[in-house]
Amino acid sequence: MAIIADDLALPPARRFSMWRAIRRNPTVALGGVLLAVLVVMAVFAPLIATNDPFKIAPVNRLRPPSERWWFGTDQFGRDVFSRTVYGARVSLIVGLSVAAISSILGLALGLACGYFRRVDSIVMRIMDGLMAIPSILLAIALITLSRPGLGIVIVAIVIPEVPRIVRVVRAVVLSIRAQPYVESAIAGGTRNWKLLTRHILPNTLAPLIVQSTYVCASAMLTEAGLSFLGAGVPPEVPSWGNIIAQGRTFFQIAPWTIMIPGTFLAVTVLAVNLLGDGLRDRLDPRLARRL
Amino acid sequence: MTAYIVRRLFATLPVMAVVALFVFFLLRFAPGDPAAIIAGEDATTEAIEAVRAKLGLDRPMVEQFFVWVTQLLRGDLGVSIFSNLPVTRLISQRLEPTVALTLSTLFVAVAMAIPIGVLAAWKVRKWVDRVVMGFAVLGFAMPVFVLAYILIYFFAVQWQMLPVQGYQPIKEGLWPFVESLILPSLALGITYMALIARTTRASMLEVLSQDYIRTANSKGLATGRVLLLHALKNAAVPIITVIGIGIALLISGVVITETVFNIPGLGRLTVDAVLKRDYPVVQGLILVFAGAKVLVNLVIDISYAFLDPRIRY
Amino acid sequence: MTGTPGAILEVRDLHTQFSTLDGVVRAVDGVSFDVARGETLGIVGESGCGKSVTAMSILRLIPPETGRIASGSIKFEGEELTTLSEEEMKRLRGHRISMIFQEPMTSLNPVLTVGTQIAENVVRHLGVSWKAGRERAFEMLDLVRIADARRRLDEYPHQLSGGMRQRVMIAMALSCDPQVLIADEPTTALDVTIQAQILDLMIELKEKTGTAIVLITHDLGVVAETTERVVVMYAGRKVEQAPVEALFEEPLHPYTRGLMGAIPRLDVEADAAGTRPRLQEIPGLVPILTQPIVGCAFAPRCGFATDRCRSERPPLVDAGAGHLVACWEIDRVRRAA
Repeated sequence: MAIIADDLALPPARRFSMWRAIRRNPTVALGGVLLAVLVVMAVFAPLIATNDPFKIAPVNRLRPPSERWWFGTDQFGRDVFSRTVYGARVSLIVGLSVAAISSILGLALGLACGYFRRVDSIVMRIMDGLMAIPSILLAIALITLSRPGLGIVIVAIVIPEVPRIVRVVRAVVLSIRAQPYVESAIAGGTRNWKLLTRHILPNTLAPLIVQSTYVCASAMLTEAGLSFLGAGVPPEVPSWGNIIAQGRTFFQIAPWTIMIPGTFLAVTVLAVNLLGDGLRDRLDPRLARRL
Repeated sequence: MTAYIVRRLFATLPVMAVVALFVFFLLRFAPGDPAAIIAGEDATTEAIEAVRAKLGLDRPMVEQFFVWVTQLLRGDLGVSIFSNLPVTRLISQRLEPTVALTLSTLFVAVAMAIPIGVLAAWKVRKWVDRVVMGFAVLGFAMPVFVLAYILIYFFAVQWQMLPVQGYQPIKEGLWPFVESLILPSLALGITYMALIARTTRASMLEVLSQDYIRTANSKGLATGRVLLLHALKNAAVPIITVIGIGIALLISGVVITETVFNIPGLGRLTVDAVLKRDYPVVQGLILVFAGAKVLVNLVIDISYAFLDPRIRY
Repeated sequence: MTGTPGAILEVRDLHTQFSTLDGVVRAVDGVSFDVARGETLGIVGESGCGKSVTAMSILRLIPPETGRIASGSIKFEGEELTTLSEEEMKRLRGHRISMIFQEPMTSLNPVLTVGTQIAENVVRHLGVSWKAGRERAFEMLDLVRIADARRRLDEYPHQLSGGMRQRVMIAMALSCDPQVLIADEPTTALDVTIQAQILDLMIELKEKTGTAIVLITHDLGVVAETTERVVVMYAGRKVEQAPVEALFEEPLHPYTRGLMGAIPRLDVEADAAGTRPRLQEIPGLVPILTQPIVGCAFAPRCGFATDRCRSERPPLVDAGAGHLVACWEIDRVRRAA
């Protein structure tokens, strides 16, 4: 298909009808809107927050939600609303950077595997091994050996996610290379580089984007899980996982310290997943049918 | 059949070898000085050197490797830095709660997900189906610990129907044991359930459009028999596959669930080890969990042969 | 119309419709026929003429999400089937009316043994034990002449050839001694030699058991060899009905004539140039069933068509000796013969 696309003039730009897009796929629209709200919240956190998220005020500890503290306060008297708003930053940074880094690594390794037999057998063995380790444990092992920080958390989540991307990319490369038109292009002396940029990369893109959306969602969950366990970002950073972890002790008298960031986390992951499902239906109908 | 199982068993060896090599090299090639990190922020040089000696990191790499491999082959996972107890003993002491939690979750999830997946496929595009699919989408987004606290809040705190947390070993009586596992299993199982239900529905839909289902209907068989025998047996392979894939989800979730519910199992051991940076214990746990996962996949592979007579060994 | 005496199955003015994105498809548009006890009735037509839908309607196996019997009556032994509850219908299917399908390769369940698939029918409808059901399955396999039947009981469909699978389908369909067997293109997917064997087997079993057969096919050769009476369908309507000899002697509907012309004729001598007359095809296409058809459905493809054919639907008239035909121009057609 890509071979034809090069020669065809682009179709006249269709007027984008927002309403039609929403009506055809309301859940994707919902995901998009939710995600947009969260991004705005993360970017403009200092403007949106009603209080200093780091300010400790023991006098005000464990206050229920009210006009002054919209989502109440935690056991140090910190404003849960402001901390939750800042928490969106951590989740989005982790989600997006893990998705981006593991996509790039996965793409490179997947292409190498699809191209070179010898690389393939070695890399895929390693990937199988990595996939056998539950992702949170793999991340934990890395974190045990490092000083706490956002960077190491991202690295620790990237490693278990890479094999998933490698598998997807490799499968696409192998299937494209077996296509008659690509075989004939190879026989006709098309350069490797041209083959890659013309035929393989464009076809890898759709499944890669879809997969990286799911990686983004899964990374957000893993980060929150790690922070919750005390093995994530340093405890003073207001990430949703940290807020929840710190609320544990007083959960029975101050359930808002857990429920509210928990809801934000669930809604964010939901939004990313909805977007992923929509992209999948749009870009990768074969995968959509299998699910 | 036996030959097939043995062959599959051997095929898992390279995977386990990669896992083992990974944990070995992770410690040796970690950025910074692992011994210093493990020893802690304010450790003295002597303390750091003591940790280094304990981990064997002061010896040549090749020697370390051979010592480590021979230990591993003997089933020796090393010694905890803190308690000085053998890692194998620490693990076996904590095994029961984790096995109980995993099995009960597996049971709850499969027992609930397959019927609702079948129901959704049977009533496709009706409201039941929409509810099930909506639940599945939510299930994928729900973090284990958030759901856990929601469940605790309502069932344990508000309505006081079930214990807030803790674990009762089976020897303390069947009901306390079961009672202590209900909420953890539900919390841990939700994503797993969503995954299985969605796969069941998709696989059933595919099967229900087949000619042999039309034949079964033309024989006037009861709906139950058509759905649960004729259709479900054909739909089983993808469902079983996803049950296997989901075990990974379950194992990751165990660590969190045991923390929320204060269950003294392997998950709790993992978290304690991480917080104390007890690398030998973490390493042993990774090997055990990865081994469990590989073993489950092996069982799944073998079960295909029983489900589909067309599969040959 | 009153039922033919001795009719076991009476279909009256059946309308079956499907809703699709393009509109309502009138797959069966007012079809009536009877099946007498123990007879073999052929239903012939091109694919898409509604013959399979008619069969599925009789068993009420039209998927409710997309299609429904819009009106009409189907009486089996005097009992109205269209108003029967689903439970009562299920007790009928596979027991008193059973069906075999075109694709023997895919119509048997791949993960259940042949024995189970036959026995479950018997257990379900005759209320016997599984042991007795299995015994019956063995008898049936033996009856359809599957060698080594005892061993075959425990085999799976993929271990059998296409012909054997169709024999298993027949064994299954006849296992409860049904009064009517509907066979939807039972031999189309099989090799020619196997086709003949299967048809012979069906006729032989019919003689033995007294089961009436409704044989649905597009193959006039099959009809000529096996059936006693024939219904010709076109675009969801019955256009002609006759005893098989009468139909082949003098087909009255231009469509039937067209179908017969489409059979390669080996008896016609090659002409001087050495070429046989080419296989005749009926020009034109089957009408689109989403639009209401005015007049005779075949008119656009018919050489005899007049303005009246295009505007008024021809009624079925008796041309003598039970030969019914729906055509305004019978006399011209007759003269053209």
